[in-house]
Amino acid sequence: MRSAVRIGSSAGIVTIFLAAVGLIGNFTNLNLIGDQVTFAGVMILIAPLIGGYVVTAPKVESGSLVRVDRGRAAILGAVTGVVAGCVFAAFVVFVDVFGVERIRAIFINISPALMDFLVGGRPVPVAAAILVAIAVVAGVAGAVYRVLPDAIRKPVGSAVWVTLLFGFLQRIVPIALDQLDIERDWLYSKLTGGLTWVGAAVVAMVAAGVSVLKDRRGDAIRRAVAGRRSREAEGPRLTPLTLAIALAGLAAVLIAPHVLGSVISEVLGTVMVFALLGLGLNIVVGYAGLLDLGYVFFFTLGAYSLALLTGATLNTFVGSTEPVIALGLNFYVAIPVVVLIAALSGVLIGAPVLRLRGDYLALVTLGLGEMIVVLVTSPWLEPLVGGPNGMRDITNAAIGNFGFRDPKHFYYLAFAFVALALFVSWRLANSRVGRAWTALREDEQVADAMGVSTTAYKLLAFAMGGAIGSIGGALFAVKIGSLTPASFTVLVSIQVLGIVILGGIGSLPGVLTGTLVLVGLPGLLREFEEYRLLAYGAALVAVMLLRPQGLVPNVRRSRELQEEDREQDKWASDVAADEHVAAGASPLGESAG
Amino acid sequence: MTTPLLEVVGVTKRFGGLSALNDLSFDVAEGEIVSIIGPNGAGKSTVFNVITGLYPPDDGDVRLRGETVVGLAPNRITRAGIARTFQNVHLFANMTVLENAMVGQHCRSTAGVFGSILRTPRVRKEEETTRERAKECLGFFGSRLAGYRQDQPAFALSYANRRRLEMARALATDPSIVLLDEPTAGMNPRETLELRDHIVRMRDELGLTVLVIEHDMRVVKGVSDRVVACDYGRKIAEGTYDEVANDEQVIEAYLGRRHEELG
Amino acid sequence: MASSGAVSARARRVGGFATLPWRRIILIILGATIMFVVVVGSYRTLTLPEAERYSGDFWVDQVVNGIGQGAILALIALGYTLVYGILRMINFAHGEVFMAGAFISFFFADAYVKSGFLNSNPYLSLLILFAVSIVGSTVVAVLLERIAYRPLRNAPRLVPLITAIGASLFIQNAFRGFFGPQPYGYPVPDVLAGSIELFGIPVSKVIVLVFVVAIVSMVVLQAFVHRSRTGRSMRAVAEDSEIASLMGIDVDRIVVVTFIVGGVLAGIAGVLFSLTFQQVQFTMGFKPGIAAFTAAVLGGIGSIGGAALGGFVLGLLQAIGPPLLLTGFSIPSPFSIRDAFVFLVLILVLVFRPGGLLGSGDAEKV
Repeated sequence: MRSAVRIGSSAGIVTIFLAAVGLIGNFTNLNLIGDQVTFAGVMILIAPLIGGYVVTAPKVESGSLVRVDRGRAAILGAVTGVVAGCVFAAFVVFVDVFGVERIRAIFINISPALMDFLVGGRPVPVAAAILVAIAVVAGVAGAVYRVLPDAIRKPVGSAVWVTLLFGFLQRIVPIALDQLDIERDWLYSKLTGGLTWVGAAVVAMVAAGVSVLKDRRGDAIRRAVAGRRSREAEGPRLTPLTLAIALAGLAAVLIAPHVLGSVISEVLGTVMVFALLGLGLNIVVGYAGLLDLGYVFFFTLGAYSLALLTGATLNTFVGSTEPVIALGLNFYVAIPVVVLIAALSGVLIGAPVLRLRGDYLALVTLGLGEMIVVLVTSPWLEPLVGGPNGMRDITNAAIGNFGFRDPKHFYYLAFAFVALALFVSWRLANSRVGRAWTALREDEQVADAMGVSTTAYKLLAFAMGGAIGSIGGALFAVKIGSLTPASFTVLVSIQVLGIVILGGIGSLPGVLTGTLVLVGLPGLLREFEEYRLLAYGAALVAVMLLRPQGLVPNVRRSRELQEEDREQDKWASDVAADEHVAAGASPLGESAG
Repeated sequence: MTTPLLEVVGVTKRFGGLSALNDLSFDVAEGEIVSIIGPNGAGKSTVFNVITGLYPPDDGDVRLRGETVVGLAPNRITRAGIARTFQNVHLFANMTVLENAMVGQHCRSTAGVFGSILRTPRVRKEEETTRERAKECLGFFGSRLAGYRQDQPAFALSYANRRRLEMARALATDPSIVLLDEPTAGMNPRETLELRDHIVRMRDELGLTVLVIEHDMRVVKGVSDRVVACDYGRKIAEGTYDEVANDEQVIEAYLGRRHEELG
Repeated sequence: MASSGAVSARARRVGGFATLPWRRIILIILGATIMFVVVVGSYRTLTLPEAERYSGDFWVDQVVNGIGQGAILALIALGYTLVYGILRMINFAHGEVFMAGAFISFFFADAYVKSGFLNSNPYLSLLILFAVSIVGSTVVAVLLERIAYRPLRNAPRLVPLITAIGASLFIQNAFRGFFGPQPYGYPVPDVLAGSIELFGIPVSKVIVLVFVVAIVSMVVLQAFVHRSRTGRSMRAVAEDSEIASLMGIDVDRIVVVTFIVGGVLAGIAGVLFSLTFQQVQFTMGFKPGIAAFTAAVLGGIGSIGGAALGGFVLGLLQAIGPPLLLTGFSIPSPFSIRDAFVFLVLILVLVFRPGGLLGSGDAEKV
């Protein structure tokens, strides 16, 4: 009961937070289903809902897992909801009494629109009571969801979230349907923008149906997956089924731009670029276990060196001028050179810093990433790379007369490189080199004692990661055709790190999933641009706290991060060993002794 | 007289003001099993760390077949033919048992980035050899590390099996000499006996030279051709087990602190 | 401690010859290049023709500004160093703790200047600004510890670092969501306008305030850590948290206290920074944060004296370095690469002298 009060008040505070950053007030008109279910409405419900779910989590009592029974769950959920609702309602009353405009002078998102939505012209006490009632319903719903039998719970769950997702994707799905000449007015209303109620019902039923089917086949699939995982070391086996799925997937990927149209292709192009960056960083962070916070270094290096090698010009106020170095190489000749430059720089910058302990290395790489950004911006290098004005007239990587600037064409060029990078990563992971990296990541000192040259393999990871990342940069340059330093900030590094971590450190499907979620979705949902980084930050923290293995985990990596009890004792014993390893792995101990 | 396989010559190692090793010298001939004994804190593990390049000696020299290894990185020393285990087992906990052993073969194989990406016939063959060799080394311990266990992550193993895996990994580096740091620590009497046989078999069947730090005097007695006793980082006695066990200084060193260990 | 000294000796030795001789070579080349730039750059800058040369007053100004900014950096750096000393973790979000205090105090400063209170009661309102800023920073620091770091106390080192990066991004953008993306002008009370003569040098009053407040804060901190019971517990936990907890010290409480102390110092720094640069924005924490971390590393992370020293040294380097070294090579607008200069210092310190100027001697470590 006490935990219900605690979680309930947290949920209330979270709702206030959502209101204060504008996630409620700015989206009162974003209809998801009909004009009744809006994004703002979902935001009000979400915290008590999750609160009700969390508060009914089974507890460990005297060594056994105790589930909460249904009656008690409903009560706990209701209490959570009441508390959450009261906290939020108190906030609304306070804003109303104090005056919206006075608060808005400081909290810019606590706006009249927000209050209109929350109070809706009713007397404030009535509005507050309604808010509490809503929170109670949400809290109970969350709690009941927890205690439902699996056979009902899963279909209901997936029906709800898939329907909301489709409502959310109202800018994407209709475009795709239009492109395919499929009648869609029954699904998405032109009037409200969101799903129609009929459409929502259909989507929900389909989602529930799929969930039931999947559950029936679940055991079989699970067995298959388990089998595959145990054989993972030898690489995936090709059964006719997986082959068919793979071919169908490939076909879908190949026709995607034609089905989805230019707008979505454009976003998919960005996704591909970031997928390349993710794959590159995955080698450094995921395989070799070196945290690199300055990955933008290689992105920038790739973009600018491609520009210089292929004869781009400098932006000026009146037009363009030749840079100091202008080589007129063909894109396909330039790419290997770019890769070589990046790999060499990886080794060169890596050599002095790789002996540093993990967290110090992270900050040094952050510094290197910042430095290259400052350098390309600085007036000093202006004759070479254009300074703040940047460069233009970058090659479109044409083969004959077929250029790749058009988003639909670029998609294929980028896809080819992503496929190549995937192949390289996959082959490396399952090889002597990959084994050495894993050993290095697990225990540097022992790897050294077992004959793995730690410095060489760290440098190798840096070089490989850098090479792949530089291709990402080069493609980015081709994609947009001109470069300005504004595209190259520390945020790129953080974004790519987010992709690798959210997807699942060391996992190739994870990188792709992470890119789709973190780059694809925000690219398509422009109205959420302001909240992208907020969500990034929240996602990074949440993933580390709740699911450190990521969305699509690498099996081994997840073991590393998940096995709680084992890890606890390992960590504990490591703390002592750590001091030795840390000092041994770096010259940090030099003056510590 | 032929050069001994491993020579430790006048090695001194200080930590701050404390001498962990003080002008320590001994050598190990090819095909010998030598035990190092001594009370806790006698600097036994430090000797291993110096030999394998983890710590540089402040003074003195370590030679393998007459050539110095001081200054080489640990991985170079392993490649030169010195393999080791650690006092408190250090495995790659999340790699499978087989992969752990395969890492041991790392320094005996050459596949690089391009070979691994292209998976050339040569690389494929080498990978196969690596796998076979790793299985062979695991097979040295009979059924303990065989079959389904090879695909389990190392952390899933029992304590004794972790110790065995660590030895298998050391064997997989194809060493000329293995350094075993308290291989029987934490094992029950039966496992200890089994391990004693393994140590002897390492020499007799695999033709290895073994340097072992050991507390269990039954093991020391059972395996050693020669025993080196240390205290306070100095050698206080050297000879056959019986000679050392009856040495005045050794008895005093042990009786002074941990007499129970001689029983 | 003994063993780490030993291992480091190995790093020194093996780093040399057999393994990777070219690593050493790269280091030597790097070192030589830096020496060249320092010597030739300063020489050429100082021997420019009279008309182009910086005046003596310019350098005096730079030194004074450098000390002022150094004092602020030192205060923030102390937060990094304290947390590092206790948890062995880099609190990447500390820059945001600093930003939070500064930002929140702005709304009070803004209200006071509009009501005239700021200039009618300048000393009282400054005190209130400091108090508000301290409360803001401390609340953020404590929440950060409670929500983001405490559950990860025993996780591998990189996990809390990633969390900290996420938290930093989150706090920044939450402030953006609360208060908007635009910069706000921070009012300065009239009493702090202008400058006074010190030893014949005109020094802006703000810098005098910065310097005095920073020094007083550091003295108080030093006394707290060495004299108070809690301070002694902090030192014990820094030494060995396990043993400290066996001795009956509540480690959780000490960690919270450490974050509070870091928050208080960051809050003070927030007001000082805002008064100096007269502007607040949600992104303002990032660069001072990195610079302060650099200062902490420069002085020797984990050491209180080191953080203070590192702050002042870095402040001076930042103010003098770019014009002194780069003007000589006719590089236009040397100040534009000031931020890169901080990173350069960070990298060089970590590569050449990772223990920092003072090293992290046991006695000083907190």
